[in-house]
Amino acid sequence: MLFTWCMLGGLIFLFAPETWTSKFQFAFTRIFSWPLSVSRVVSLSARTQQQPTDVVGYSQYNQLQNHLANLTAELNQERQKVRTLSGLRDRRPALEGAGLVLADVITSSVGGLQNALIVNRGANDGLAKGQFVLADNSVIGTISTVASRTAEIKLITDPTSKIPVEIAELNVSRIMQGTGKYSARIQMLSIKHRVRVGDSVYACKKPGFLDTPLIVGKVAKCIRDDENPSVWDITVKPACDIEGLNSVAVLIMNPQK
Amino acid sequence: MNWFRFAVLLVIAMVLQAGVVDILAFANSKPDLLLILLVFFAVYSDTSNAIITSFAIGFASDIIIGSAMGPQTVSFGLFGTLLAYLHRVVAIKKMHYQSLVIALTGFLAGTLALFLSSLKDQPIAPNAFTILLGTSIYSAVVGPFLFSLLSWWIRMTVHRFGRH
Repeated sequence: MLFTWCMLGGLIFLFAPETWTSKFQFAFTRIFSWPLSVSRVVSLSARTQQQPTDVVGYSQYNQLQNHLANLTAELNQERQKVRTLSGLRDRRPALEGAGLVLADVITSSVGGLQNALIVNRGANDGLAKGQFVLADNSVIGTISTVASRTAEIKLITDPTSKIPVEIAELNVSRIMQGTGKYSARIQMLSIKHRVRVGDSVYACKKPGFLDTPLIVGKVAKCIRDDENPSVWDITVKPACDIEGLNSVAVLIMNPQK
Repeated sequence: MNWFRFAVLLVIAMVLQAGVVDILAFANSKPDLLLILLVFFAVYSDTSNAIITSFAIGFASDIIIGSAMGPQTVSFGLFGTLLAYLHRVVAIKKMHYQSLVIALTGFLAGTLALFLSSLKDQPIAPNAFTILLGTSIYSAVVGPFLFSLLSWWIRMTVHRFGRH
C-alpha cells in the first residue's frame, strides 16, 4: 500500500505540467542558494588549482592583482549606475533597442548528461524561454525554463542544445549541437566550404530573440566525417570559459518599458 | 530510522551533488551520491523505510537534475523497492556485491528515467547511455567506501560479513 501511494505521487509529478513542477527545483536553488554558491566556489577553486600552466611571476601577479582591484571598483560603480539608471538594462551599438539583464550564477552543471546554469533572475526581471544568454560578449546558451525569480540556462555544450550558426564568412547556416564535453559539433557542412581551425562561429539571427549574429565559439577541430566523408565534422569550443562564469547577461530584444 | 538525520543527510548530498562532486569528474562521469544513498537505505533499512527513502531520494534527484520532475522519483522508487525486497532473499553485505548492485541499479534506474523523460518530450542526449554507464561504474567504485560513513551518521550497524 505504501509503495502504491508513493508511486502514485511519483506519477502525478511525472505527468504534471512542467511549469508547476519546476517550482520545486527553483525553490531548492533559492532556499539553498548560499550552500550551493559555496559548493560552486569550492568546485571552481579546485579546478583552478588543477591548472599549473596558469602561473605568472610574483611581479606580474601583483600588477594583475592591482589591476583587478581597480577594475573591480570600476565594475561595482558601473553596476550601481546600471541598476539605478535602467533597471539592469545595458545597451550595445550592435543591439540597439535591446536590453541586457545581468544575472548571477547560483549553480552550474557542466559536463555530463546536462550542461546548464541556474541564475538568480526570472520572469519578474523580464526573462522568457528562448532568450539568448551572453557572457564575455559571446553567446553561451538560451533560457530553457523560467520561474518568477530564477531561470535555467541550457548551455551550447548541452547534448540537447541545437542552435543555428554560421561559420566566419561562409554564407551558410548549419545546426550546432552540444556534445556534453565542453564543446559543440557542426555537421552536414559540405567539404567544398573552406573551414579553418580558429574560424569564428556565430549564432544566426532569430527574429524576436537575436537581431544580429553574435559569436558563439571558435572552430577547434575540422575533420572529414567518418560516416560521410563529403561533409565536415567540426568541433567548436565556446568563446568564453563557461565553467568559470559567475555572472551572465540575458539578451532581451524588445524589453518592456 | 532517525528521519531528521536522514533529511539532513539528503540535503547535504543534494548540495554536494549539485557542485562539489564536479571536482571528482573523470571522463565526463561523476559519482552519483544519491544513487549511493538509495542502495545504502535499500540494503540496510527495513522494507517500509526503504520504500519511503527510495522515493524521497528519487524526488531529491529530480530536483537537482533540473529537467523534468518525476522520472527519477518513479525509477528510484521502483528500483529501491525492488532492491529492498531482493535483500530479504539475498544478502547484499560484501563490498563487491554492493558495488555490483550500485552499478546495476544506477544503469537500470537511469535507463528507466531516460525512458520516462522521453514520455514528457524531454530531449535525450546522444551519449546519454555512455554517461549513465560511466556514472554507474564510478558510483559503484566509490559507494561501498561511503557506507561506513553513512551508517555512522544514521546510527545503523553495518555488517560486512555473514547474515545478521
